Amino acid sequence: MFNMAANTSNRKWLEPHSHLSLQLWETIGTGLFNLFILGILVVYLFPILYIVATAFMEGPQLRDRNAPPYPSRHTRLEYEGRDYPIYNVPIDGEIRPLALVEQGRTSSQFLDPANPDGGLITWEGNWRQLKGVYHFHMTWDNFSTLFRSLAIPKMLQNTLVMTIISEIGVLLSSIVVAYGFSRFPLPGGNLLFYVLIGTILIPEKVTLIPTYFFFVRILNWQGTWLPLLVPFFFGNAVFIFLLRQNFKSIPKDLDEAAMLDGAGPLRILFQVILPQSWPTVITVSLLHFFYMWNETRQAALYLSTSRDLSPISFGVQNFQSLAPIQNQLQASALILMIVPVIVLLVSQRYFMRDVVVTGMEK
Amino acid sequence: MLIRNKPIFRMRYDQTFGLLLISPWIIGLLLFKLLPILASLVISFTDFQLLTPEQTRFVGFDNYTRLWKDEAVGYVLFETIALGISTIPLQLVASIFLAALLNNPRLKSGNILRTLFFLPSIIPGVAIFFMWFGFADPNVGWLNKLILEPLGLTGFSDLYSDGAIALLFSISSLWSIGPGMLIMLGALQGLPPEIQEAARVDGAGPLVRFFYVTLPLISPAIFFAIVINLITIFGGVILLDRGNVFSGSYSPYDGYVSYMLFDKLDLGYAAGLAWFFFIIVMFVVVALFSSARRWVYYPDRDV
Repeated sequence: MFNMAANTSNRKWLEPHSHLSLQLWETIGTGLFNLFILGILVVYLFPILYIVATAFMEGPQLRDRNAPPYPSRHTRLEYEGRDYPIYNVPIDGEIRPLALVEQGRTSSQFLDPANPDGGLITWEGNWRQLKGVYHFHMTWDNFSTLFRSLAIPKMLQNTLVMTIISEIGVLLSSIVVAYGFSRFPLPGGNLLFYVLIGTILIPEKVTLIPTYFFFVRILNWQGTWLPLLVPFFFGNAVFIFLLRQNFKSIPKDLDEAAMLDGAGPLRILFQVILPQSWPTVITVSLLHFFYMWNETRQAALYLSTSRDLSPISFGVQNFQSLAPIQNQLQASALILMIVPVIVLLVSQRYFMRDVVVTGMEK
Repeated sequence: MLIRNKPIFRMRYDQTFGLLLISPWIIGLLLFKLLPILASLVISFTDFQLLTPEQTRFVGFDNYTRLWKDEAVGYVLFETIALGISTIPLQLVASIFLAALLNNPRLKSGNILRTLFFLPSIIPGVAIFFMWFGFADPNVGWLNKLILEPLGLTGFSDLYSDGAIALLFSISSLWSIGPGMLIMLGALQGLPPEIQEAARVDGAGPLVRFFYVTLPLISPAIFFAIVINLITIFGGVILLDRGNVFSGSYSPYDGYVSYMLFDKLDLGYAAGLAWFFFIIVMFVVVALFSSARRWVYYPDRDV
């Protein structure tokens, strides 16, 4: 005790008055650190703002190089039944917003919006070099155009139905298979598990041609959802891996206790193991949800001629071939991304919680 | 004395029931992986054309000698490797950096920040594609107007030049680090604080602690992230299927196979290309996994 006191007395930063400043430094440091991360976040997410801003812009703003980045309109002055665009004009050593009445290459005529009856003001110079005055103005027109040219509600419905069906399939099969891998002795020891991980590494192209022929020529599934949905009922290797790691971390004692009470293996799975692994189950189902919302490649193979079965991502991808202008394109991107973004934000408390994947270890 | 009834335990967890449980996966493995891979191999020894399937002949190794002489194959293979070399380290460093920041106890509302950093990774690839091409468009985009020109740099004039696409791809690869970041974060949160504390007591500074203590301890997560990123480049399907949103496929090589498949309808050659790539992928994977013994740390390795 005594020794410690002696030790601290010659350390200035532990004295009462400088202790306060240490706390101050702590606060400043923490504040700067949080600001730093916020700064990185703003830069990181900055391009999303482009989608949001452009989706609400009107066409003329896109062609105007001087327009601000937010949705806006060129401010105009209405005077005696006509309206004139307002520009920032450098005149008499100050910059004044004036309405352009008569354009000229060397001199132009302006009206003062504050005093329109005050007569014309002449300014020497090329009006094209002037910057306009803009005010915030957003439009929903891009979305109404989009809803007219694409069957958005139908495609959203398609994606939703496909997601629900395949979600049930992939969850049931992956959970059951993961349970088998985590608790039961299997022939070949860990060999089957290594095969499972190995299948994750197979390039898609090497299985593509025969799979396509199998679905289209043998099963005649062209133009149906079946080729997109059925494979999910046989489990997803990544999900099986994640679930298996999680099931393994649950102590076997609980299984054994339930077993003594006479519970069968499936009852143990659904009443003992699953209630403890719901964060992983939720994460897996969310990953599948995001995957389905993103799906275009299988749709391009099997649904390219059946428009009314098209999922939203594929429909929006095809929208590009109509060469729409940028604001409608971004509006379609916004519609496509809004559902997964909302789902992520709502579920963020559960997503990827406790899913600690530390590698390919056993 | 024996409370645990071992015989019953053994009986319940028997092999047959285990096989029954994993049977969906085994059937799927046969139907959608093994048989197609073998069928692909068979097709690669034929001159199978989509439009004239009845004229298919067995051509031996013709497709493989053809791809050996095909200059485009060397080019797309090189491009694919370059893509991996330029994006995987970038993604790794960025995900470790972000995870280390987000793991800092000084961080306020870490949960929502973590989610926001993950957000770009769940935006559908099509939307990302529209966004980057709009964002970087020389006429209507923001890249020139709001970033490059205010910084005094010359903006892009041609968005479709090779350099611009490569740059866009590198930047956008930073937009799919979400899963990698969460894997790193999970690994960092699983570290026992005593080890850090011990290194600190021994006088190791924060940087030394990070490089000599933290990094080796999270090496399994780094390994896992490398595998995930490699698979994305190779054209496997994992976690969030985003791939290369710019060429409509994952890698230049993948794109070339698609071209042979969907534009030339030359299925025999496409199958040969796919199988050749499959062999390369297996080679890389085996090399990676055997290198893991040397640099990946496992606390309770019993293999």
